[in-house]
Amino acid sequence: MTVTDRPELEGLGNYKFGWADPDAAGAAAKRGLSEEVVRNISALKNEPEWMLDLRLKGLRLFDKKPLPTWGSDLTGIDFDNIKYFVRSTEKQAASWDELPPDIKNTYDKLGIPEAEKQRLIAGVAAQYESEVVYHKIREDLEEKGVIFLDTDTGLKEHPELFQEYFGSVIPVGDNKFAALNSAVWSGGSFIYVPPNVEVEIPLQAYFRINTENMGQFERTLIIVDENSYVHYVEGCTAPIYSSDSLHSAVVEIIVKKNARCRYTTIQNWSNNVYNLVTKRAVAYEGATMEWIDGNIGSKVTMKYPAVYLMGEHAKGETLSVAFAGEGQHQDAGSKMVHLAPNTSSSVISKSVARGGGRTSYRGLVQIEEGAHGSASTVKCDALLVDQISRSDTYPYVDVREDDVSMGHEATVSKVSEDQLFYLMSRGLDEDEAMAMIVRGFVEPIARELPMEYALELNRLIELQMEGAVG
Amino acid sequence: MGLNEKPLSTLHEKASYDLADFEVPTGREEAWRFTPLSRLKGLHNGKAEPVGHVRVDVDAAPEVTVETVGRDDARVGKSFVPADRVSAQAWNSFEKATVITVPREAVTSKPTVLTLTGSGDGAAYGHLVIKVEPMAEAAIVLDHKGSGVYADNIEFVVGDGASLKIVSLQDWDDDAVHVSHHHAQLAKDATFRSFVVTLGGDLVRLSPSVSYTAAGGDADLSGVYFVDAGQHLEHRLLVDHSQPNCKSNVDYRGALQGQDAHAVWIGDVIIRVEAEGTDTYELNRNLILTDGARADSVPNLEILTGEVAGAGHASASGRLDDEHIFYLQARGIPHDEARRLVVRGFLGQLIEKIQIEEIRDRVFAALEDELAR
Repeated sequence: MTVTDRPELEGLGNYKFGWADPDAAGAAAKRGLSEEVVRNISALKNEPEWMLDLRLKGLRLFDKKPLPTWGSDLTGIDFDNIKYFVRSTEKQAASWDELPPDIKNTYDKLGIPEAEKQRLIAGVAAQYESEVVYHKIREDLEEKGVIFLDTDTGLKEHPELFQEYFGSVIPVGDNKFAALNSAVWSGGSFIYVPPNVEVEIPLQAYFRINTENMGQFERTLIIVDENSYVHYVEGCTAPIYSSDSLHSAVVEIIVKKNARCRYTTIQNWSNNVYNLVTKRAVAYEGATMEWIDGNIGSKVTMKYPAVYLMGEHAKGETLSVAFAGEGQHQDAGSKMVHLAPNTSSSVISKSVARGGGRTSYRGLVQIEEGAHGSASTVKCDALLVDQISRSDTYPYVDVREDDVSMGHEATVSKVSEDQLFYLMSRGLDEDEAMAMIVRGFVEPIARELPMEYALELNRLIELQMEGAVG
Repeated sequence: MGLNEKPLSTLHEKASYDLADFEVPTGREEAWRFTPLSRLKGLHNGKAEPVGHVRVDVDAAPEVTVETVGRDDARVGKSFVPADRVSAQAWNSFEKATVITVPREAVTSKPTVLTLTGSGDGAAYGHLVIKVEPMAEAAIVLDHKGSGVYADNIEFVVGDGASLKIVSLQDWDDDAVHVSHHHAQLAKDATFRSFVVTLGGDLVRLSPSVSYTAAGGDADLSGVYFVDAGQHLEHRLLVDHSQPNCKSNVDYRGALQGQDAHAVWIGDVIIRVEAEGTDTYELNRNLILTDGARADSVPNLEILTGEVAGAGHASASGRLDDEHIFYLQARGIPHDEARRLVVRGFLGQLIEKIQIEEIRDRVFAALEDELAR
């Protein structure tokens, strides 16, 4: 039953997105980080002075802050070896055909233009290396005043919104990786939904790293104005290289009164990407923020999507699912910070570890003074498929107010022999039976995903589980 | 860099007999962030001179031997290593230790009661060893009363196939400060039942831990606490599963009332690579009866093997449910009586587990007394 009995099955052919394109732009890019690199990025983008100042401040704070000592082992990141900015094409394309053939080919293989053609998505952004290479939003939404741009263009066209909101949710020096992102950010999505507009089908972004030792630092800013709704979906892949890349994004979301925002991520980086992401939303009175977070790929992920509940009756929700296979550590969770009365939060986390992988739930629920009548529930379930994997639960609770109700529950279990036996006695082989049990385990989260992503998740589970039993 | 080159567990902090290995806590450390250090009266920074004393009276079962020994006795300090600054301070500062031995295969005819009475005139340090030899069975009561500033370490060494039940009552006067480390070491097929009742004291910080030296150990740790205005009652549990097929179950419940009543419960469980077939569950519940009280409850679980029989934890803190009270009031029960019934039901379920009748009655009486305040 152990995976170690059949090492030849481990990880082989499991990653579908592992091809690499020819890489002229990446090969020419400079490695390492310095003030010059930061000034260059800013100059290339013709940014206003205040943004350059913010970048330089980010660089100073990045140098000053130590690497986190908790969570995963990050000592393998060689900051001097990383390419901080890679420009893959000179100008953003208005149609897929205008893109350089390599890049278009990549997105064809990923199936993005097809999805757009079929109108499964309301808008699409494709980021290749450091910059967004393709961007499109449905005309009717544009007419309603919905803005969906890459962040660089957003800064040029809407400087007033950036002055007000950029860095307001996640300050430059929030943590070492947020500081790094602030210094060298490039690309990402900028979304503004005006009051009383419902964007009923998702906006989608697709992030791809191609260059070896690339650092991708996209920066996303989403503002959902009063009584509006938007669902943003992002996916990520990268080629398999022998040395590591770094993905360190910052996502800031502002959900205004009675608005709702849903942010879905299916992270499927190859197993040589350090994925260290800071995601945070502020939810005002009556607003709802939902994070749906799937972590399947990467070498190390440290990601704790947060909701700051600023107004009365604001609501935060996180649904998170993580898979860790051989050599992977998924250190994921969620933070809920209650700052106003009668706010509520719920976190549901499911994780599966196999082949010696490690999943950790690391969360924080903080209830500040004045947030009376708040309620929070956290539920974490972990499934272990073999003897050599591990799973940890570190829920962190900090309550500074009375009259609150808090609940936390965690279970860690093995795949039950009985369930396996039952399915196998009905003619399924062990692999299929195992995959079916795992799919059932994550179903509560899969059903919250847009259909094509749910299918994708199921397919990824199957790939992850292939060879999980020997 | 493999994942395994990191220290395997982050919950297991360093341990040492040497006081110098532990820095004076500042309150920012994970292990000390809840504890109001200024109220420790110098136990944490070496300023609490051992000028007071805590008298130990033993009413022993006839089958057990009771000895008072010096620091150099071979049985002292064998089963544990101090894991925090105050524990190390107590280890380095005590003069005489009490050693209670339950001989091989003896079954005690009555509980052995140790009454620890603080004189109230300064700091004191203590050490206790309770050794249950193979196949023996015993019940021990630790009854803490009086006042003072007291830090101690207690070793429960449970031999092969032996069974030990303990009840530890912290029934201190209002101004007492007590920091204690209970360590239970379970040999093959040993059973350990611990019941902690914390009621009195200005600040009580109790750290029960369990380790296993062979397979088949079974530990059950229960606790009840009642926190009044201004009190800080903290319980920090650590169960370290390092042997296969052992069990542990933790169930602590507390009620809080009054301004700045503060309860802290930390429940850590580690299941190490070798500990296949472990079955563990941890539960903490807090009932907050009035405004101004605060309960912190943090369970942590680290599992290093995939082969577990079951592992889980749950924690819940909330207010007395208005609907429960309303339901009872609707049936003609006055408000205060309804409240009393709900709290009694909440804690009573656990208190029923105390198998020594006079202690159980005393805890129920203390609960009634608290509820009448």
